[in-house]
Amino acid sequence: MVNLIQMIVSGIAVGSAYALMGLGMVLIYKASEVPNFVQGEMALAPVFISYLLMNSYGAPVWVAFAGALVFAMVLGCILEFAVLRRAKDPNVLGLIIITIGLEMILLGLVSWKFGADQRSLPFPISSYDSVVIGNIFISTLDLLTLVVALVIMTILFLFFRFSKLGVAMKATQQNEIAARLMGIRTNRIKMVTWGISAMVGSVAGLLAAPVIMEPFMMWDPMLKGFAGAVVGGMTSLPGAVVGSYLVGVIEHLFGGYVSIEFKSVVAFVVIVIVLCVRPSGLLAKHYIKKV
Amino acid sequence: MKRFAAIMIISAALALCFGTAGMCEVGVTDTEIHIGQWGPQTGPAAPWGAVARGTDAYFKMINAEGGIHGRKLVHHYFDDAYNPAKTVAGVKQLQEQEGMFAWVSGVGTATGLAVKDYLMENKIPWIGPSAGSRHWVEPPQKYLFNVYPFYMGDAQLLCQYAVETLGKKKIAIAFQNDDYGKQGVEGAEYQLKKAGMELAVKVPVNVADTDMIPHVMELKKAEADAVLLFVTPGHVARIIGTGKAMQFEPTWMSSSTCGDFPLMMAITKGLSQGMITASFGLAEPTGHVGEVQLLDNPVQKMVAKYKTDAFDKFAAQDERYGYTFLAGIGFAEPLVEAIRRCGKDLTREKLVKELENMQNFKGVLGRINYKPFDPKDPTCRLGQGEVFLQECTENGGSKILTDWVKTVYLPSKAE
Amino acid sequence: MDMKRDYYEDVEIFSSGAVVFWFVVLGCLLAAFPFFAENYYIYVANYIAINIIVVVGLNLLVGFTGQISLGHAGFYAVGAYGTITLMTEAHLPFLVALVLAALIAGLLGFLLGLPALRLEGPYLAIATLGFGLTITQVIGKIELLGGRQGLKAPDLMLFGRQLKTDQEFYFLAVPIAVLLVLFARNVVKTKVGRAFIAIRDADIAAETLGINLVFYKTLAFAVSAFYAGIAGGLYAFVLRFIDPELFSLFLSIMFLTMAVVGGLGSIMGPIAGALVLSWVDLELRNILSIPYLGDWLRHLSSSYFSLTGVSNIQFIVFGLILVGIMLFEPLGIYGIWIRAKKYWKTWPF
Repeated sequence: MVNLIQMIVSGIAVGSAYALMGLGMVLIYKASEVPNFVQGEMALAPVFISYLLMNSYGAPVWVAFAGALVFAMVLGCILEFAVLRRAKDPNVLGLIIITIGLEMILLGLVSWKFGADQRSLPFPISSYDSVVIGNIFISTLDLLTLVVALVIMTILFLFFRFSKLGVAMKATQQNEIAARLMGIRTNRIKMVTWGISAMVGSVAGLLAAPVIMEPFMMWDPMLKGFAGAVVGGMTSLPGAVVGSYLVGVIEHLFGGYVSIEFKSVVAFVVIVIVLCVRPSGLLAKHYIKKV
Repeated sequence: MKRFAAIMIISAALALCFGTAGMCEVGVTDTEIHIGQWGPQTGPAAPWGAVARGTDAYFKMINAEGGIHGRKLVHHYFDDAYNPAKTVAGVKQLQEQEGMFAWVSGVGTATGLAVKDYLMENKIPWIGPSAGSRHWVEPPQKYLFNVYPFYMGDAQLLCQYAVETLGKKKIAIAFQNDDYGKQGVEGAEYQLKKAGMELAVKVPVNVADTDMIPHVMELKKAEADAVLLFVTPGHVARIIGTGKAMQFEPTWMSSSTCGDFPLMMAITKGLSQGMITASFGLAEPTGHVGEVQLLDNPVQKMVAKYKTDAFDKFAAQDERYGYTFLAGIGFAEPLVEAIRRCGKDLTREKLVKELENMQNFKGVLGRINYKPFDPKDPTCRLGQGEVFLQECTENGGSKILTDWVKTVYLPSKAE
Repeated sequence: MDMKRDYYEDVEIFSSGAVVFWFVVLGCLLAAFPFFAENYYIYVANYIAINIIVVVGLNLLVGFTGQISLGHAGFYAVGAYGTITLMTEAHLPFLVALVLAALIAGLLGFLLGLPALRLEGPYLAIATLGFGLTITQVIGKIELLGGRQGLKAPDLMLFGRQLKTDQEFYFLAVPIAVLLVLFARNVVKTKVGRAFIAIRDADIAAETLGINLVFYKTLAFAVSAFYAGIAGGLYAFVLRFIDPELFSLFLSIMFLTMAVVGGLGSIMGPIAGALVLSWVDLELRNILSIPYLGDWLRHLSSSYFSLTGVSNIQFIVFGLILVGIMLFEPLGIYGIWIRAKKYWKTWPF
């Protein structure tokens, strides 16, 4: 029984990182209608920037993190403004390829600048200490990730509900032309959406970096976050969160009880089964298309 | 244009060769010897790209000292991003357009196997593949000389030490789900069977996994007091860290791939202190058991020489002086030595003969032995069959735990 | 001009004498190529031919039927492993093993098509991604297939002759590629192809017109999986050694990229895409050897970036090419060709 609870707890801990990536992907999907493959690298670059700030310029941790978040915001805005918007007559697959291309460029730049060696980010909260409740362990870093993820979700929820910018973003996502008619500058809104999504992703990256940093580290969380967002519903923010936690917990339960090798596979199989029953994900409304 | 130039150069070289009274060889002129190498300079395996750069610096050092019998070593290395299709493309292009005398090192099992047949059919020597796969010696090939001691030897020595010296009762293994990890399992099982024990649990690790919690939970459930980690350094960092968080702290042991203690200390933030790994060289165990040796202040004179003459002078500014870089030098040493022994008259057949006569050659790695070619005997092309154990100290130094120990070669099970 | 006057003109493979002529010229060039090209270039041609097969098949699914698949590396793997296993275990001759393995891949494609009936867009992408991942993991587990240690390809015997060199392999791979491309073009021009296009454009309307969605969607998956299977079987013999790590998500993404960048919805498009991107992929490793550019890049690296990571420029250049082509011409390379053709045809207006 203890093992079961431990697995669920660790699944939730791991799911927080996926949830942050999933949130970022859903934000962009709702605004620009493209599954964003560059999410991982948008999260990766600020992490390496913070490493640079801490190592070469000796900045304290909080300054470096704040710098990373600012950089993420700027990076997201630039990507949308300079690249995605310039696509003429885009169709979904074309946009996907553009995001894949951007992903390769960013990955190449980060690897070029920092070399291939693995590093580790100095961070006050260690991933090696843990909080113990009874026989259940959760490492302090994982706990922090969980708390931060919940905080960010709350902030986003409040932001979308109550702030002017948030409402404008919701309006743009629901019907772009109507929003434009109402006086909302949708181009700017999309830019800001990308920036916020990059920021959310980079938080996930910064919290994963203290364990180990290497250029390919964000692929796995991105894929799992994508999968989680899909299973929860690509058009629903709470869905992304629920889905990602679900993916994390299923992985761990399966890994603990049946087979470690196949844990990712089973997560995807479960997702496919869920999608067969609810084709648009768990929490999203399924729209039958107009003919 | 380049192809034309290459044809011109090769014909000129051939003409020169026939002018001088001696047989001429592909990739060899009066002033140059062309050696090729591949490696992952980009991609997920990019940290191993330091091997090629190490060999490059080594060759530049030799050239600065005058070359070998008046010939300079021209090193051609390219990036294959661990993609065998690119490896084949690069090898074919270099071999056919520039003409390589021999190939050295080359990281990766799948990548190496993709080009092995091509090189062997064209009778091109290949020395020191940088992957401990048994495919290099099963069946042994006349022109393929292995150097890297096999991973199963690491596992054997680690288990022997754990059982006999440390008195461990429950030994478990976390292994990467490929040839590297499987060899570790075989070696461990072989050694433990001799002591009448079994592995407490075997936990497979997928290369793409970043979350090690289920794996550590398995290990903890088995109550292992020593755990062999046959995975990449990144995974070792994650496993040890997760273990500490779950308050599971057995004796961690690993293969030679994780023997780069300065790197391990950096990425585990000091947790790897006390970790025991096998090592294939770069320190001098004989007569120094119990001492602590550092990589840049070593008892090993050759390592010190390479630091000043190869690394300081020829390596890139941001290159890290580490295990992988030196390994690149170590894999190339037998080739360079064999070329020296051939003398002025350098052909591939002579090179093979000189390598076969190599007994107990010691560079920065262990003793390297070859025997005349016997298609039934894998040890004729085995190279180094010994390893020693080292323990990580608090400033990334190596505490020598054992002397060189010869390990047993376990042939792979028949399919 | 391009107007078709009756049904048979619409369906014929070669629309005019000129096209037949150029096709024959192309055939002669292809046949003569290995005799005057270097071995390295023949290897590259083999590699490109295999990629063409996969991408044409993928295009049938993505471009003509409007689905998406991130799991084609799985079918590729099934083709590769299937061919080798059938040759070594069941002792079947090469061509029989190849076709059989591809049929198995096609069957798996059909199975993948079933859940795909209800899914679209990112949901379908994740489902196919999971599928590709599952296949690779399952293959890695089966010891008969070599498990994680990989599998060595046996000698390639064709009609009693052993194919060892790249030249000989060329005469196997390229005719197969040409055949499959013609077959795809045929499919596209006839009833099945029109059904695919109808499904892509408005699938509910297509159903009301009597097109059986279940049949055609699963058929699209099955056919594109078949193509990937054949290509996989050939690939196993180009590399001579395969292991599960080769067939990663990255490979699936590369296939999709080649299809989209080449141009969806045409047959020439994926050929162009596979040609250009495979060639770029293989040649970019030599970027540092270009006379002036290489030195400038190295200089730039040592001043601002790391010199050890300088080969990563390949990624950057590749990404720039992808982004550049897609930004300026969403229809891909084929779209650029069409635009150029239209420009010249309607010049000077």
